[in-house]
Amino acid sequence: MSGKDWIIVIVLLIVGLLIGYFAAGPGKTTTVTVTQTSVKTVTVTRTAGAPPAPTTTKTTTTQPKARMKTPADTLIIAMDTSDAVSMDPARAYEFTSCFVVNQLYDKLVDFELPDLVNVKPEVAEKWEVSEDGKVWTFHIRKGIKFASGNPLTADDVVYSLQRVIKLKQTASWVLTQFVSTPEQIEKIDDYTVKITLDKPVAPSFFLATLTFTTSAVVDKQVVEAHAKNGDMGSDWMTDHSAGSGPFVLEKWDREAEIVLKANPYYWKPGQPAVKRVIIKHVPEPTDQLLLIKKGDVDIATDLTAEQVKQVEGTPGINVIKVERTHIVYLGMNVAVKPLDKEEVRDAIRYCIDYDSIINDILLGAAIKWQTVIPKGLLGANPKTPYKKDVAKAKELLAKAGVANGFTIELTTPPTYPQIDIATKIQADLAECGIKVKIVQMTQSEMYEKYRKQGLQLVLAGWGSDYPDPDNNAKAFGDYRVKQLAWRNSWYDDHAADLAEKAAVEFDNSKRKQMYLELTDYILDHGPYAILYQTLAQHVARDYVKNYLPDPTFFLEDLSKVSKAGGS
Amino acid sequence: MDLKTYILRRLALMLFVLFGIIVITFIVSHVIPADPIGAILGPQAPPELIEKVRREWGFDKPLPEQFVDYMVNLLHGNLGKSIRTNKPVAEDLMKFFPATIELATAAMIVAIVIGIPLGIISAVKKDKWPDHISRIFALMGVSMPVFWLGLILLFVLYYQLGIFPGPGRLDPGIETPPRITGILTLDSLITGNFEAFTNAVWHLILPSFVLGYYASASITRITRTSLLEVMTQDFIRTARAKGLSERVVLFRHALRNALIPTTTVIGMAYGSLLEGAILTETIFAWPGLGRYSTGAFLSVDFLAVMGSTLLIAVIYSVANLVVDILYAFLDPRIRYA
Repeated sequence: MSGKDWIIVIVLLIVGLLIGYFAAGPGKTTTVTVTQTSVKTVTVTRTAGAPPAPTTTKTTTTQPKARMKTPADTLIIAMDTSDAVSMDPARAYEFTSCFVVNQLYDKLVDFELPDLVNVKPEVAEKWEVSEDGKVWTFHIRKGIKFASGNPLTADDVVYSLQRVIKLKQTASWVLTQFVSTPEQIEKIDDYTVKITLDKPVAPSFFLATLTFTTSAVVDKQVVEAHAKNGDMGSDWMTDHSAGSGPFVLEKWDREAEIVLKANPYYWKPGQPAVKRVIIKHVPEPTDQLLLIKKGDVDIATDLTAEQVKQVEGTPGINVIKVERTHIVYLGMNVAVKPLDKEEVRDAIRYCIDYDSIINDILLGAAIKWQTVIPKGLLGANPKTPYKKDVAKAKELLAKAGVANGFTIELTTPPTYPQIDIATKIQADLAECGIKVKIVQMTQSEMYEKYRKQGLQLVLAGWGSDYPDPDNNAKAFGDYRVKQLAWRNSWYDDHAADLAEKAAVEFDNSKRKQMYLELTDYILDHGPYAILYQTLAQHVARDYVKNYLPDPTFFLEDLSKVSKAGGS
Repeated sequence: MDLKTYILRRLALMLFVLFGIIVITFIVSHVIPADPIGAILGPQAPPELIEKVRREWGFDKPLPEQFVDYMVNLLHGNLGKSIRTNKPVAEDLMKFFPATIELATAAMIVAIVIGIPLGIISAVKKDKWPDHISRIFALMGVSMPVFWLGLILLFVLYYQLGIFPGPGRLDPGIETPPRITGILTLDSLITGNFEAFTNAVWHLILPSFVLGYYASASITRITRTSLLEVMTQDFIRTARAKGLSERVVLFRHALRNALIPTTTVIGMAYGSLLEGAILTETIFAWPGLGRYSTGAFLSVDFLAVMGSTLLIAVIYSVANLVVDILYAFLDPRIRYA
């Protein structure tokens, strides 16, 4: 070797060492020296009807604390905000948009996390519903002021809801599924509003949809002052706010940061607890990890499961886990032979190794769940009868007349963790003699085909638009609404009827029973293998108090979050 | 042909190139089997709503009609509206592009400052250790993934040592100067906000180094190669024979000739830096064109994709032209024909 070659070899060695060092992960290098862990893993579990308080599963004493690096009155969140489209409540439908809108506006009613079953008063302090379930009367709380100083009255409520119906934007269907014309929303007096529904629905169902951000109350005077070309202020509202919520949108620098400042007129005493919230757009999870570990942000929301495992054990950092109302499933198109046979679908459900998907692929960022209504909602059914049982699966396949197996396509988006899960399912099904061909498609292309019933097996997810079981029951059970049941060609009238009946059942305990029956039925006969329910794993510095990640995507409430003591 | 006619002719040619690019991007972005409306409305949106929004955006019209609409708008200076941001594409580009210009320009300065001297040292000390070191340095530049280098630097210089700030353009506590050009360092200087200026410069160092280092590699290599080639030419021998010092031979005679190919590389590199250093922008949470166009691609935001592609095409064509014109200044023998 000449001198030149030696130098190259040495440099390559150094680079290799650096790669190894980095691949091992930054966390490991810092935790090696930590002798006493002070990690706190808070797991929040919810059961229908009775909201338990967050439980601390593992706590050890915290070490002497370092100084809080971020300003005490400013909450800094690192989040991937690239999906945000508009902060107008009539338009917002994306994770980030709804997250922000919920800080800026009040709604007639709301859920108080982690309870997703009992609706609480907000702008409406009480309400009545007529006996036929069609006419609702809401009594508006007196003394609420918008951030402009204007008082909130029935005029604003009527204007806000009518605005959603008139503008007909993306999320408007949440409201217009019950109220199709603006005239159905009327002012009775300054503090009373009457809403007439198209047809009666279960009261808990209607109220749950009112917690969605489309029903946010906007300041009529301010919005109208910014209206142009009949847009009811929509253009201006894209990056401004006119609400009575705990915060005001100070600025939205797209792709950089969203800054909220406290609303001086907020009606709940002592809130919000911080003066400012800065949501920094940090698209790269590794950056979020460095920022939270360094203490330059207070909360990080998008760490990968691997990174979460890495910070568990870092002093001064809490990992907060909450079950999201989002389930991931394998859809089986009944129009494709032999998936039309119930035994075959059952066999597939018995082929899959659910525990391995949750523990080995998702590294624990999910819980085992097998019914179509997620844990936390009314009527959630905790049954998990399916586990990997190759012998049973083969027996079922033989019964269906396909003892020698068959070949089928599985479509998945080309992203993590879907690819890994698809590969795992491919391996699992192979053990039962079913040959799976994996087809990768971008999400938008996949849904385009899925909507046209054009897929065989599909790996997809479903998040609830509002915390009411109807959203999932209809999607998964009622082919007439042309959602998941229809996309998988499962035209089952029993399931469809049951979903429809449950939606109009006034008695909540009866309604719950109906959903239990429906979920049982879909579990046995439906065209799905529910793989898991996802877990939100947010990471916060330990001085952040009262922060609870949102199981949905529009109920996050930062008004009580404070920063105190801590490191 | 004089320079003016040459430039005019090139500009006319550019229009053809751009038209070709528009046609191709339009067809490609419209025939791919993805549904932008479905993408933006999410997997849960009811079919009727998707149909309604599709009509609103005019996506239900036949493709040729959509193309004519697009061209007519374009000729009126209207790039259309982005589905994703719901704002005019031109407005979006104007918002995101300055951040990229700032980063790319800083990176280019880094690249030139590193690349040219290294290239010269490397050529002068050919096959000696300075040559080896600078060549290895250059080799590392092109072969190290930007993504990886960016993360390493952030980890060591930000997280471990705390010398440089984390990702982003400014610290959260620093007030953003009012937007004049969109280039933070410039805006803060204009408004006399020196705190923001220093902070912005401080934030600019790591990403521009990562990006500049990558670009410097090709500059080093081309400078070295062409300098070595020039040094073997007859006029260098003559210059030396005249008894000129090696220094004068190198800087006055050789380098000027050797820098012509380097200029091409610099011009093209600047073009590609502006096009959006997507990975660098992602790692350093830099709100620039690269991030905007990636987002647009991912959500099949046709008009935004078209707008950014067009902007990039214009940049490339202009960079090309500028390089060609610069040749004349570097080498008076070059004539435009």
